[in-house]
Amino acid sequence: MIELVNVSKTFSDGHKALKNINIKIDNGEFVFLVGPSGAGKSTLIKLLLKEIDPDQGNIIINGKDVTKLKRREIPFLRRSIGVVFQDFRLLQEKTVYENVAFAMEVVEAPPKEIRRQVPIILSLVGLSKKSNLYPSQLSGGEQQRVSLARAIVNGPSILIADEPTGNLDPDTSWEVMKSLNEINHRGTTVLMATHAKDIVDAMRKRVIAIEDGTIARDDMKGGYGV
Amino acid sequence: MKIRTYKYFIKQSGKSIWRNKVMSLASIGSVMSALLVIGIFLILVLNVDYLAAKLESQVEIKVHLMDGLSKNIIEDINKEIKGLTGVKNSVFVSKDEALKEFSESLGENSYLLEGLEGDNPLSDSFVVTLEDPRLAPQVTLAIKAMSNIENVVYGKEELEKLLDITYFLRIGSLAIVAILFLISVFIISNTIKLTVFARRREIGIMKYIGATDWFVRGPFFFEGVLLGLIGSIISIGLLATGYYFIAKYIEQQMFGLLVISLMPFHEILNNLVIALLIFGVIIGSLGSMISIRKFLKV
Repeated sequence: MIELVNVSKTFSDGHKALKNINIKIDNGEFVFLVGPSGAGKSTLIKLLLKEIDPDQGNIIINGKDVTKLKRREIPFLRRSIGVVFQDFRLLQEKTVYENVAFAMEVVEAPPKEIRRQVPIILSLVGLSKKSNLYPSQLSGGEQQRVSLARAIVNGPSILIADEPTGNLDPDTSWEVMKSLNEINHRGTTVLMATHAKDIVDAMRKRVIAIEDGTIARDDMKGGYGV
Repeated sequence: MKIRTYKYFIKQSGKSIWRNKVMSLASIGSVMSALLVIGIFLILVLNVDYLAAKLESQVEIKVHLMDGLSKNIIEDINKEIKGLTGVKNSVFVSKDEALKEFSESLGENSYLLEGLEGDNPLSDSFVVTLEDPRLAPQVTLAIKAMSNIENVVYGKEELEKLLDITYFLRIGSLAIVAILFLISVFIISNTIKLTVFARRREIGIMKYIGATDWFVRGPFFFEGVLLGLIGSIISIGLLATGYYFIAKYIEQQMFGLLVISLMPFHEILNNLVIALLIFGVIIGSLGSMISIRKFLKV
């Protein structure tokens, strides 16, 4: 569960990125975060990952107040949140399998567990046959699905996707959305920031629109809007 | 931390040392040369200390007599010396005996002294031992005040000079060691910065996945320690070999003329190994810690 209570963030240059935001997202929800560039979507994601801290308000993730976490507790917060980015952020010198396994090695999972879990996740995103290829040998949509696999291989309860289809053409975008939907059906809360109007309109999920640092709209089964 | 995590650290650090061969060699070289100089100073200080301790334990006063004194006068002087407070014993060494001893100490090189028997340049003397080496100055003064004494020598003077030397040696080496230490830390930190820079994407990903700071730091830490260790092992090897041969050379070539003797090889080796390994590891770990501090902030 994600809950933001009266959250405000002003950057040192005086830009008010978020103004008194209140959001509540339940377990298992699929939420689109929409709005123009610079409206505060990225700031919101950074706050959830505790890359930055709010000036005011509380952010509660899975019952814990993130704003009160100590620096050494941050890694454990991030293990409960998977993240994918627009630019995939895969390691080019590692194969698909190694990229996903890497996420488990980093959290010191037992090798046996890694050998068991990685193929399961790769088949979930439909990449079982490509596990020995390198990212450069894959299409953009496939690369993004590798990055999805990496984000969920440690079983986070929340998945944050920051414009995951931003670099993809419509067809491959839908491959990624299919995977995201599947991950959501398995019980993971998905929060996706996006500009892709057609995707938002077609999926009929909850839409939170941010404009100029405030919540302009919060619709269950909404559309992208104007 | 689990064992396989350490394995991972060591594997990663080995990889990056190999990948940045040139910089790694430069770091090892700089650690090595810094530790070589540190080691040389250590050897000097240890030997001077060793010598000082040795001299202190065998303080004796040598009383050289005027030439051509009669037996009676010599006997009187002996009695007088023995009567001084703090004197344990006084042994008469005639100039002939002195020459013989000297000649014996030269061993096979004693031919150098041939022909001196008729015209012995040495003098008759007393070797005075003390109950307490600290009494040496006052006993020396008392003997100097007596008549028919040519001069009085006691090891303490040499000892004091030696202690002065030790003092300056210590101060000097401390300064040089500190400078070299900082230079090596700087060079190692630069080498590791290269690795960190090459892997900054990976570090960013690791942080997002939820790697702990320690896990991210591990490979770089080990890289620094490894570079420091390799440097210190090479310098220990060079110094030990050098010391072994120099000590041997001095022993063989100096005809045993030297009153001083060097600290035994194995004692030096123990000190070198401990000190330089610790130095190497500290240099390496400090260097790596400095270079990764700012990259961890994600």
